Amino acid sequence: MWKVIGLKLAKTIPVMFVVSLATFFLLDAIPGDPAVTVAGANADPAMLAEIRAELGLDRPLVERYFDWLGGAVQGDFGRQLLDPRLPVSTVVRAALPVTLQLSVMAMIIAPLLAIPAAMVSASRPGEGPDRVASTTAFAVIAIPSFLLALLVIHMFVFNHGLTQWALIALLAVGVVYLADRLRRAARRYPPGARGPFVARRGVALAVGAAVVVGLIWVLPDFPRQGWVRLTSDDGLAENLRSAFLPALTLAAMEAAVWMRILRGDLITTLQEDFILAARAKGMPRWRILTFDALRPSSFSLITVLGVSLGRLIGGTVIVEQIFNLPGMGTLMVRSIRAKDVPVVQSAVLLIAVIYVLVNAAVDVAYAYLDPRIRRGRV
Amino acid sequence: MSDASNARPAAGRSLAIGLGLAVVGAVGTYVGLTAFTADDGWWKYAVVAVAIVFVYNGLQRACRAVFGPTFQFGLWLSIVWMGLIVSGAVFADLLPLAESRDVSKALLEPIDLRPNLFSRHPLGTDGQGLDILGGILYGGRVSLAIGVGAIVIGVAVGMLLGVSAGHYRGWLDRTISFVTDSMLAFPPLVFLLAVVAAFNPTIVTVTLALAVLAIPTYIRLARANTLVHAQREFVLAARALGERDRSIVWRELVPNVALPVASFSVLLVAAFIVAEASLSFLGLSVTRPNPTWGNMIAAAQDDFRTIPHGVFTPGAVLFMTVLALNRIGDAARLRWDPREAKV
Repeated sequence: MWKVIGLKLAKTIPVMFVVSLATFFLLDAIPGDPAVTVAGANADPAMLAEIRAELGLDRPLVERYFDWLGGAVQGDFGRQLLDPRLPVSTVVRAALPVTLQLSVMAMIIAPLLAIPAAMVSASRPGEGPDRVASTTAFAVIAIPSFLLALLVIHMFVFNHGLTQWALIALLAVGVVYLADRLRRAARRYPPGARGPFVARRGVALAVGAAVVVGLIWVLPDFPRQGWVRLTSDDGLAENLRSAFLPALTLAAMEAAVWMRILRGDLITTLQEDFILAARAKGMPRWRILTFDALRPSSFSLITVLGVSLGRLIGGTVIVEQIFNLPGMGTLMVRSIRAKDVPVVQSAVLLIAVIYVLVNAAVDVAYAYLDPRIRRGRV
Repeated sequence: MSDASNARPAAGRSLAIGLGLAVVGAVGTYVGLTAFTADDGWWKYAVVAVAIVFVYNGLQRACRAVFGPTFQFGLWLSIVWMGLIVSGAVFADLLPLAESRDVSKALLEPIDLRPNLFSRHPLGTDGQGLDILGGILYGGRVSLAIGVGAIVIGVAVGMLLGVSAGHYRGWLDRTISFVTDSMLAFPPLVFLLAVVAAFNPTIVTVTLALAVLAIPTYIRLARANTLVHAQREFVLAARALGERDRSIVWRELVPNVALPVASFSVLLVAAFIVAEASLSFLGLSVTRPNPTWGNMIAAAQDDFRTIPHGVFTPGAVLFMTVLALNRIGDAARLRWDPREAKV
């Protein structure tokens, strides 16, 4: 195991080196003089020359690259070009936790949406609930993230009450559908057993519906934009309230992909003989789904989980912009617009390195989970 | 679903029911979209949603009655939609559209008009009085040019490198694979941001940046497909007959690899249209006043609460286009990618 991890890590080093080369030389080509960015367009030539010397711009490109790389390895990324000219590491340290928290929250919310939807879909493929869930997933995949974020704002912030009623209406449709199915299922029972069966299921349905209505009812008001830090006086609740909608947006996009993958694998698993055996023993459908079918079907999902985490860390840019969150994405876009080269270089390098490491970790986890490839080349 | 098994005489009735549903739905959509513009009642949304379901089901029924029960309605609807978008983008200059690009010519136009299909501004105007329909058609031109252009370059370069790597193996393969892995190490959006930061964002630079993003994927696809084909008898036969390497690559491998690799392209065009829209939404692609779907949405975002149609009209077009391309792309892969077709 350790050998696998070591090999994998060793393999990422040349890739990270190329990444740093590309980042530095690509972004060094940004048009415009960094000294002008610092001093402003009206500065006199002597002052500009002095700033160039301070930034090391008078030295050869290759020397500057190794200087920059050496600093970056030790956590020193230089200073911002713009006022207040803070060290880049300070700026990044303020921004990175926001992006990481959003990614992690999205990774927690997404399975809560994807796994139940996939289980319901796969248990009766082609029927009403499956058609609704599959169509929704197909549609969500086609919505660009900025549009989804605006839609989420439109629903949960601007039309909060309306959304609550719409959700309750959807729930009512669902309850009517389930009640109808219960009525049909009851016909299979002899008249004497019908009453207790209907009563048991009916009570479960009513309790479930009441709980969901309660949840919809207490749906809090979410802010349109802004971020409350975990360390601020308002504490965890406010922090989660400000992070929920952006995380939901990110989660919905991932969940739609996961749902389609898991649904396909579940349908394949449900055709296996051991499922047939479990069914023949009289196991209820939900029990088979949860305890027998889910685990062997979750393999492709786990592969995609890692890819998703990597994509989230690089992909929160747009959501951060729309919800005005002080994360890495906002930092990058703002610095690109202001031509603040050191910040852009460091941010791109940092995100790319995290991305590479997460992908390497996924490969290792994959080898750990699947014994078939553990002994092969990793 | 059950009318699939019906005998032929029922087809006429099914057609009539379908057309009836579609007409009711169309009227409902129109009423929902226009008649209640005075107040923003929630039931407007409900009417439109139900009406659209009516139209879709009605037309599907009618088409199945005419073309047989296996008619893939969603796929054909997607093809028709893409036909509309493409021809709109091509012939935008010839259509009698109100001004959508030059603010100085739209000074006298009313701003923030609501959509009204029978006026000079069928989809309304934006905050500067520019026509939204015109913006959507010209924006479609940018989206399609960038998406398709990037794919064409990506396929050409990626296929060449991928087939070469798979055929020659050795150091060439190792070098190409290493560079590919390194290129895939950048999160796509971050790479795009870095490129537009380094070069000024124009149609050409954004197209090239997206092409660079596409190349590694195509190299991998082409290489994997080449490795499969290189084992086949016809390549061995060609070699035995004394064909040279270059001839084997061009006459035996490329024709066989091309279709499965290219069948992936429609899906990637969809992804690239989204990527371009995201960049122009961030103001890092083609900028105002030249319209793109992304920058139209960004411009309307400020008044989003009071005038949601400014965001949702171009947004709906973008969504429908991506949905249509995904649908067509899935069908193309089922048809042309042997690995998918087996399932």
